[in-house]
Amino acid sequence: MSKENTMTVGQAFIGGVWTEIPVLRLMLGLCPTLAVTTSVKAGLTMGLCVIFVLICSNFVVSSMRHLLKPHLRIMIFTLTIAVFVTIADMYLKAFQPVMSEKLGPYIPLIIVNCIIICRAEACAAQNGLLVSVVDGFAMGLGFTIVLCFLASIREVLATGCITFSPTLVLTILKPVEAGGWFTPWASMLMPIGAFVTLGLMLAAVNQIAGKKS
Amino acid sequence: MSNLKLFFRESWLLLVSSVLFGGLLALTDAAWRPRIQQNEINKFSNLARTLLPAAETFEHLADPIQIPDDKGRPMLVDVRRGLDASGACAGWAFVCEGSGFADKIKLVVCVDAKFEILTGFQVLASNETPGFGDKITIQNGFYQAQYKGAPAERLTLHKAGDSKLIDSEIIAITGATVTSQAVVDILNAYVTPIKEQLRQKGFLQ
Repeated sequence: MSKENTMTVGQAFIGGVWTEIPVLRLMLGLCPTLAVTTSVKAGLTMGLCVIFVLICSNFVVSSMRHLLKPHLRIMIFTLTIAVFVTIADMYLKAFQPVMSEKLGPYIPLIIVNCIIICRAEACAAQNGLLVSVVDGFAMGLGFTIVLCFLASIREVLATGCITFSPTLVLTILKPVEAGGWFTPWASMLMPIGAFVTLGLMLAAVNQIAGKKS
Repeated sequence: MSNLKLFFRESWLLLVSSVLFGGLLALTDAAWRPRIQQNEINKFSNLARTLLPAAETFEHLADPIQIPDDKGRPMLVDVRRGLDASGACAGWAFVCEGSGFADKIKLVVCVDAKFEILTGFQVLASNETPGFGDKITIQNGFYQAQYKGAPAERLTLHKAGDSKLIDSEIIAITGATVTSQAVVDILNAYVTPIKEQLRQKGFLQ
């Protein structure tokens, strides 16, 4: 089944964090991007889960790439991804119960995240272990960076600060109720805030990429 | 026979993977399940203790409570009795859920020992609209405060009124009438039937 690809480790890494950055260039993984970016902590947790699942699923798929039958490969990919997503979900429930509740169904929904099955098909099924693992890490890192950036804009405009824990709160814009001048935008916590911010980010990236080309 | 051979030749990798991955999940579950269950118990106890401060422990009832769901089908409810330091009943706590505006709303509700007065509710899970419906989660906010001391009977929702007056009339959150109504409906669906069941089983006089 497998057609060996000639992707290098460097190409895999640069692809994940810039030229093929999942959300902004491939337009993959938009559902969790819009849903969980109400806070930086939630975005970071989702990103770390996706990195874990991408690395593990790419490793397993790459290891068995010579054994894959074309008509069964999607089933194997889905099975592999579902296992690691379930482990990530159980880990959060056991060790980060508050964050697990906050993210709700979006952790189990990583199973149907297009980025992961896309990398299994486009990279791991055609490349060696090292390239596949680096590709998984880089794609996950690119996804996490976008999530954290989008979440930081939304959280700051919605609350004036970034909350990492009850004792670690980074105040960027002092809200009126705390004696400052900033009136928080509640709409930034709603879907409209996510759509508008993501749209502006896409426009900025297209502008930069357009200028380069 | 040749069909069977073909089946195994084509699908052996899927079968072997399924067995291996199933084993991996079973091991992970065995390792983390006790911790996950303890987290759930802790969360329930912490929320219930804020509503029933006198209760030190919450014990399950030996006889489960069964009430009708919104379609009239029987549904089991995990009602727990809060016990104070002397072992006397300090109140009752249970988890109830129903449809909200965006998703299911799950609440911990506490009632006094005689099941006559609500001591309040806390939100276990909800995905209501930020800035509007999610105000039901604000501890000691005006909406939650209306339930502390309200009678454990049928509640009604009103769009305007004095929210500081504690009675069976609940004043809605502005801009979140659906969520406010959902909480009232959830309590109405659980409180009275549970009270009836407890009375029938001899837990209440």
